[in-house]
Amino acid sequence: MQDNTILKIENVSKFYPGVTALNDVSFSIKKGEIRALVGENGAGKSTMIKCIMGVEKPDKGRVLMNYNGEWVVNTSAVEAQSHGVFANYQHVNIAPDLSIAENYFLGNQPKTKLGLVDWKKMEKESRRIMEEFRIHEDPMTKIRELPVAMQAMVTISKIYVNEDIRVVIFDEPTALLENEKVEVLFNFIADLKSKGVSIIYITHRLEEIIQICDSVTILKDGTYVDTLPIEKVTKDFLIQQMVGRPATDIYNIEHFEPGEELLRVEGFTDSKHFRDIDFTLHRGEILGFAGLVGAGRSEIMRALTAVEKRLSGDVYLKGEKVTIKNPSDALHKGIGFLTEDRRADGCALKLDIKTNVNMSSYDAISKFGIINLKKETTRAEEYSKNVNVKTPSIAQLVGNLSGGNQQKVVIAKLLCCNPDILIFDEPTVGIDVGAKQEIFKLIEALTRQGKGIILISSYLPEVMGLSDRLIVMAQGKITAEYNKEELKTLREADVLRKASIEE
Amino acid sequence: MFNKTAALGKNAKSTPLSRMTKRSEFTIGLVVIALFLVAYFATPSFGTKYNLMNLSKQGAIVGVLAVAQTLIIITGGIDISGGAIAGLGCMTMALMVRAGFSIPVCILVNFVICIVCGFVNGVIIFDLKVPAMITTLGTSTIYRAILKLACGGNSVTFFKPGTQEYVDIFYKIGNLDIAGFLPVLCAVWLVVSVIAWLVLRYTTFGRDLFVIGSGIEVARLSGIKVRKTFYMVYSVAGLIYGIAAMMFAGRILRGATNTGEGYDMNAIAATVIGGASLAGGRGAVTGTFVGALLMVVIENAGKAFLINDYILEMLTGILIIFAVAMDMVKSRKKG
Repeated sequence: MQDNTILKIENVSKFYPGVTALNDVSFSIKKGEIRALVGENGAGKSTMIKCIMGVEKPDKGRVLMNYNGEWVVNTSAVEAQSHGVFANYQHVNIAPDLSIAENYFLGNQPKTKLGLVDWKKMEKESRRIMEEFRIHEDPMTKIRELPVAMQAMVTISKIYVNEDIRVVIFDEPTALLENEKVEVLFNFIADLKSKGVSIIYITHRLEEIIQICDSVTILKDGTYVDTLPIEKVTKDFLIQQMVGRPATDIYNIEHFEPGEELLRVEGFTDSKHFRDIDFTLHRGEILGFAGLVGAGRSEIMRALTAVEKRLSGDVYLKGEKVTIKNPSDALHKGIGFLTEDRRADGCALKLDIKTNVNMSSYDAISKFGIINLKKETTRAEEYSKNVNVKTPSIAQLVGNLSGGNQQKVVIAKLLCCNPDILIFDEPTVGIDVGAKQEIFKLIEALTRQGKGIILISSYLPEVMGLSDRLIVMAQGKITAEYNKEELKTLREADVLRKASIEE
Repeated sequence: MFNKTAALGKNAKSTPLSRMTKRSEFTIGLVVIALFLVAYFATPSFGTKYNLMNLSKQGAIVGVLAVAQTLIIITGGIDISGGAIAGLGCMTMALMVRAGFSIPVCILVNFVICIVCGFVNGVIIFDLKVPAMITTLGTSTIYRAILKLACGGNSVTFFKPGTQEYVDIFYKIGNLDIAGFLPVLCAVWLVVSVIAWLVLRYTTFGRDLFVIGSGIEVARLSGIKVRKTFYMVYSVAGLIYGIAAMMFAGRILRGATNTGEGYDMNAIAATVIGGASLAGGRGAVTGTFVGALLMVVIENAGKAFLINDYILEMLTGILIIFAVAMDMVKSRKKG
């Protein structure tokens, strides 16, 4: 064998109807190398992974793998896995109705002498793995019952179960993880590297790349841009290479003087996620909520919009006490809620953009239940243009859009209801730099119109960079609040400390 | 992958014609026409007026039941109690007619019963969270048991009380042809389909069905009154079963313990052939219409070609799977 190259991507092209996903891309990866793959959404990263995993066949070129000194082509995911190639996809891909332990040993359960499943051994082994990854749950817990962050951790740790690991692909592994778990992940990656495993690491968080990767390959619009050792790149440089425009500080948006009080929440308490929560929101203000995943931030917003029940607490809108009965009522009273998981409860993936944009507000364009179809179309076109949804037509199914564009469709839907208050729960999870920037610009435009924005984000630079006021939560309680002045000098470490207070 | 193609509305404006040819009902429609023409010219019996009218009557009841099925399947549900509900409605009318109630009262009671049965399905499915398949499997058994209890297991003919004469209106529903060529049953099928098409296209209720089918949580958080819509769609299905009950009454002129048996599966098949997705979020009345048409044309043409009945059944089964498989292949290519 000539060298210690493990993967050779040779002139790979892949075409979909109307789209060139990959155009003559070539690069190679060495054994034990941690390679970052960066590019905007639509740059071809996902297609590249699919080609490497053998899920998609390149239309031109080939992906070669060095398997014990022989060059092989993996033609299916099963074959790739038998050669030690594993992928951790962006969306949690484990069996939700099986337990953690069952998922670990899916298709590979330990057997007793009689050939039956050895549950005891399975549980014991699982416990050991979970200890390693600091997953403090019962191995027999069903995946469905776990919080999303924990589910993501289980999918990551599932790779560890395999004996022969040679290449591991991580697609946005930290999108759902809190800081402590990110550290566990990085330790795992370092451990894999020390065993000679090659890693392909995809993320929109460029800081992470500089922290853990050895080298970085940049893709742009399906074409190969460059591969560079990590010492030679900076975050700004990467952004510039990816989007082809100079890097400006993406969090640098215009801020406005807060006006009258829009919302006041007093004494919010539910059975287990949060207690004694008070806060206010003003016109033109961005109120940030920082904290670890599971701190109770999303749950407060779900209670506020009556998606979930609460035990006690009052809501005042423009000084007037109101009762919000259900999510529909919340919208009518002027609170729009962009949820954390747009795929699960944000947009109707099987339906077109037109229906998605209008679906919260058909009442406004219909009489006696009969829709004005013309208004339906013009409204969808107008609003999707306002938020800059990139699509050939509003007849496009939302499931076919990229994450950033899906998010914009959800925002368009909310704006159709003309709410005064907008809650953005993790609005930038899994979307690329360019789309992120557009969403921040949208937030800026909304505050200019005098709307109040609540921004929840687990990504500190984002929530600290955008907010006018910042609330930090830990374990269901507010532990700190910073005003505009204090935010200017605030360091991430301070917020982290407040966010991880143990009682 | 579309985020790199073009800004909104710039290119790829599909014409109405190109959109139409892409729809599954278009393909199925072509198959129906081709089959029809072949049978028409190649066999002596298929093209007769008698046979064609008979064919349309056969299609009508399945077609009407399939409209209800389409609305429900769009929400991601399914209903296998339609035949039982229509059967119960039909039997109720027969018993009431024999007991001397006036015809309008009998028809009104039929509709009330069918709507209540549908509503009950909706409540069980939404509030008790029992999957639609299981709920309607259970209720269909219950509804049919009630039917059997009511008639004591005997069939009841639609005779005027104390005579051997059929009740006029039911006889006409089953046998009258409007203007000499359009059977009443067939007209009902058309009217119900057109109304449902309008509802799906023009009403908020119709849109809400699609949104619910795409995801209940999405619908709820988007401010759609999911509970109300669930109750509505199953009640509307009940209403349509009430219409089907009257069609049964007209066509067989009696209430029987097995009235409507086997119809649900055909209705589901017609809906699915027409392009609806059992996972919800997709379906069309036009598709269902040609789907139902295809099923009766196949059966009828098969008989005209003197194909063995059992072989014909097998062909129908193959057709259902083929139609759905084609659709899956198509959608995968698109994806």
